[in-house]
Amino acid sequence: MSLIEVNHLYKEFKIARRQEGLGGALRSLFHREYSTRMAVQDISFAVGRGEMVGYIGPNGAGKSTTIKMLTGILVPTSGEVRVNGLVPFQERQKNARQIGVVFGQRTQLWWDLPAIESFELLKQVFQIPDARYRQNMATFSDILGLEEFLDTPVRQLSLGQRMRADIAASLLHDPVILFLDEPTIGLDVLAKERMRKFIREINRERGVTVILTTHDMNDIEKLCRRMILIDNGRVMYDGELARIKEMFGKERVLIVDLEGEVNGFSIAGAEVIKQEGNRKWLRFNREAVTASQLINHISEHYEIRDLTIKDPEIEVMIRHIYEKGIGSYEGACL
Amino acid sequence: MGTFKMYLEFSRKSFQRAAAYRFDVWTRIVGNVLFLFMWGFIWYGLYHGKSSVEGVSFQAMLGYILVSQALQGIHGAGTPLWEIQERVRTGDIAMEMLRPYDYTTRMLFSDFGGIAFYFITAIVPLYTVLFLVLNPVVPTSLVQLGLFVVSVILGYFIRYCIELTFGLFTFWLVETGGVEDIFYFSISLFSGSVIPLWFFPGWLEQVARYLPFQAIFFIPNSIFVGQLTGPAIWYAFMNQVIWLLVCYLILRLVWNRASMKIVIQGG
Amino acid sequence: MVQSLLRGIDMYLYMAGASIRAQLQYRYAFVMNILGWAMTYAGTAITMWVLLYSFGALEGWTFWELIFLFALAVLSWGVCMVFFFHFRSLDQYIVNGTFDRFLVRPVHPFFHFMAMKFDVGAFGQFLFSIVAVSLAYSSLHLHWTWQWLVFLGAVIGGTLIQGGLLVVISAMAFWTTRSERLYWVVMWPFKSLMNYPLSIYPRVIQVLVTFVLPFAFVNYLPALLLLDKTSNNFSPFWGCLSPLVGVLFFWLCLRFWMLGLDRYKSTGS
Repeated sequence: MSLIEVNHLYKEFKIARRQEGLGGALRSLFHREYSTRMAVQDISFAVGRGEMVGYIGPNGAGKSTTIKMLTGILVPTSGEVRVNGLVPFQERQKNARQIGVVFGQRTQLWWDLPAIESFELLKQVFQIPDARYRQNMATFSDILGLEEFLDTPVRQLSLGQRMRADIAASLLHDPVILFLDEPTIGLDVLAKERMRKFIREINRERGVTVILTTHDMNDIEKLCRRMILIDNGRVMYDGELARIKEMFGKERVLIVDLEGEVNGFSIAGAEVIKQEGNRKWLRFNREAVTASQLINHISEHYEIRDLTIKDPEIEVMIRHIYEKGIGSYEGACL
Repeated sequence: MGTFKMYLEFSRKSFQRAAAYRFDVWTRIVGNVLFLFMWGFIWYGLYHGKSSVEGVSFQAMLGYILVSQALQGIHGAGTPLWEIQERVRTGDIAMEMLRPYDYTTRMLFSDFGGIAFYFITAIVPLYTVLFLVLNPVVPTSLVQLGLFVVSVILGYFIRYCIELTFGLFTFWLVETGGVEDIFYFSISLFSGSVIPLWFFPGWLEQVARYLPFQAIFFIPNSIFVGQLTGPAIWYAFMNQVIWLLVCYLILRLVWNRASMKIVIQGG
Repeated sequence: MVQSLLRGIDMYLYMAGASIRAQLQYRYAFVMNILGWAMTYAGTAITMWVLLYSFGALEGWTFWELIFLFALAVLSWGVCMVFFFHFRSLDQYIVNGTFDRFLVRPVHPFFHFMAMKFDVGAFGQFLFSIVAVSLAYSSLHLHWTWQWLVFLGAVIGGTLIQGGLLVVISAMAFWTTRSERLYWVVMWPFKSLMNYPLSIYPRVIQVLVTFVLPFAFVNYLPALLLLDKTSNNFSPFWGCLSPLVGVLFFWLCLRFWMLGLDRYKSTGS
C-alpha cells in the first residue's frame, strides 16, 4: 500500500467580490457576491514509502493548497486523502505526529530565543523520549553543524543557519514523511548544496519519504527521481524526471554571439528561445537538422564571434510543458 | 508657491489613502463615540441634582465635552506617534533626508489630508447630529465661532509640535515606554481634554496654567462654551501664540540635532 | 485523561518559561513596559481624583470606592493579560501564515496558541491594582471575612470574562483577518466604560453589560457586595455569581473560536 494516497481531490475557494465605490462598500456590508475559484481539481497520485517526489508548478498552481490538505491544515472540498492510513483533517493531531513540515519562508522557531529553546519545546510538544531526542540532536548537529549556533537567538542567525535549524526541528520526532516547502529559497549556492545533501541523507538512511515543492529546478534535478507537475490545479505530468529528459533529449540549444548590428534575427529549422543583445539561444531538433548545418545557415547571413551547444535546461523543458502540454510535445517529437 | 503646491500634494495623497482605507478610518469613530458616551454620562452623573457648579451649567459642560471629543477625534486622525517612532527605529526616516523638502512641514501636510477625510466623512456628520439632538451650549455669535476656530488651529499646531518633538526623542532613547505613558497622561489631564481646568484643585490649576498642554484643548473649548470672554480671550490667544513659538523652536532644534545624527551616524 | 492534562500543564509551564526568557532579552524595555502600564493606570486614578475634587461623589460613589471599583477591574485584567493578551494579534499570525504551524503539531491549537506567550508585562497591572486595592481597603475601613472569597471569585470570573472577550475578538480574525484593531476600537473603550459605576449609564447599557457582554460581573456587581453598597437594579448577591458567569461565558467564547478555526480550515485564509 502507498504511504500517501490522493484520489480525485478538489478544493474550491469562495472569493468575495470587491464592489467598487462608496455605495458598493456599504452594500457589501450586508450582501456579498462570491465567485468560486478551483485551487485544486481532480488531483490523484500515490507516493510510496521512501520516495522523494518533487511537487512543482508556478505560483498559484495549487501546490501549497495540496500540501495544506496533506498536512491537515485545510479541509478538502471533495475527494480522498490518506497519509499513512490517516485522513489528515479528521485526525489532524495523530497525523501531525507522523509528518514533519518546513515552510521555507517562515520559521517555526522562537524568534527571540536561542534555537535550542525551540528544540526543547518541540521535544515537549511531540513527547519525544529523552534518549531519542539526544540521539537525534547529536546526529543533526553532526551533519548540519548546529553546534556553532544553538545558543544564538534565532533572529541573529543567517538564513542558511536558520534553515538548517528549521529542518532539524521538523525531524526531531522521527516523522515518516517530510514536507518541504521551498527549503532552499534565498540560500547561497553552498548552503543550497549542504541542504540538498542533508535531505538526500535523511531520505536514504532514515527512509523518510520527502515531498518537496520548489522553484529551483536544481533541487529537483539533484534530489528527485520523480516529479509531479501541476498547473491551474491539475496534474500536468507525473512520472520520472529521466523520462522528460529523454523526451527532450533530441533537443539541443545553440548559443551564438554575433558580430555587428543584428536586426530581426531568424533562422529556418530552429526556434529562437531567448535573446540578449547579440547573444541568441536557438533550439533545434538534432534529428531534423545537424548543428553544422545550422551553423552554416547562420554564417551565411551573419558573422559569428562565438558559439556553444548545450543540452536544454530542465527549466526550459518544464516551461515548454506548461505552454504546450506534454501531449503536444510527444506528438511533435515522435 | 511651487513649494506650497508640492506640500499640498502630500495632503492630497494622504486624503486619497484615507479614502482607500476608509473602513479603518471609520472604525476609529466607534472608539471616539464610546468615550464621548462615557464622559457624557460621567458628567451627567456628577451634575445629578445640581443646576450649576462653579458657575458652569450642565448644558455648558455638555458643550465642552462634545467639542473636546470632536477635537480629539481630529487630532487623533494624524500620523500616530508610534509610526514616527517606528520610522526612527528602523532608520526609514533617513530616506526623508534625501528628499527636497522639510520633513516637519511635509508631515504636517500629510496629516492635513487624513484629517480632512476623517473630518468631512465622520466628525462633521456625526457631531452635527449630536449637537442638534443634545442641544448643549454653543457659540452665540459668528465672532465667537471665528475666535474658536482660530484657537483650535493654534492648539492643533501646538499639539503637532509637541508630539513630533517627542517622537524624535526616539533618536536618543532606545525605549520610550514609561516616558511615553507620562506624556500621554499629561496631554490627557493637563490639556483639559476631559476635565476643564476650572474644576481642578487650586494648586493643580496653577500648575496646569503654566504648561503648554492647556493651549491645545482647554482654551478653544472654553471659548466655545462662552467661559472665556472679553479681554481674557486676547490674553489666552497670546498664551497660545507664545507656546506655539516655543514649541516650534524646540521642534526645530530637536529636528536639527536629529538630522545631524542621521547625517553623521546614518540614523 | 489525567496524563494528558499533566502533559498539557508541563508543556504550558515550559512554554511560559521560554516566553519569559524571550521577554527578558530586552530587559530595559521589559521594565519600562511594566512601569508604563502602572503609570497609565495611576494616571486614570489621578484623573478620577481631580474629577471628584469639586463634586465629592459620583452617584454616591466616593473617591476611594471609585478607586476600588477601578482597581478590581485592573487586577483581573492583569491576570487575563498574562494568559490571553496576545490573542488580539492573532490576525498577524494568520496574515503572514505562521498560524499554520499550530496546525501541524499534535497539540490542540487553542491551547498551543495560548501557551505561545506568557505576558509578564502585566506585572504593571498587578503593581497598580494591589497598591490601589490595599489603599482603598484601609481608607474605607473594610474588614472582610467571607468577602475574601467573593473577591477571589471576582478576580477569577473577571479573568475568564475578559479573556473570553479577547478570544472572541481573536476569532474574528478567522473571518475578517482583523483582530488587533477590533480590540483597540471596541473592546478597550468598552472596558474603559466599566471603570465607572454602572449606575451612571442608561438602563440599556446596564442590561447589555450584564446579560450579553457580562462586564458587570468583572467589577461593578462584586464591588456592590464587597463595599456594602445598594443599587436600585441589582441585589448585591449578584456579585457572587462572577466565577459561574465567567466559566459559562468563556466556554461559549471557546466554542466560537473553534467555529472560526473550522472556517479557517476550509478557506485557509
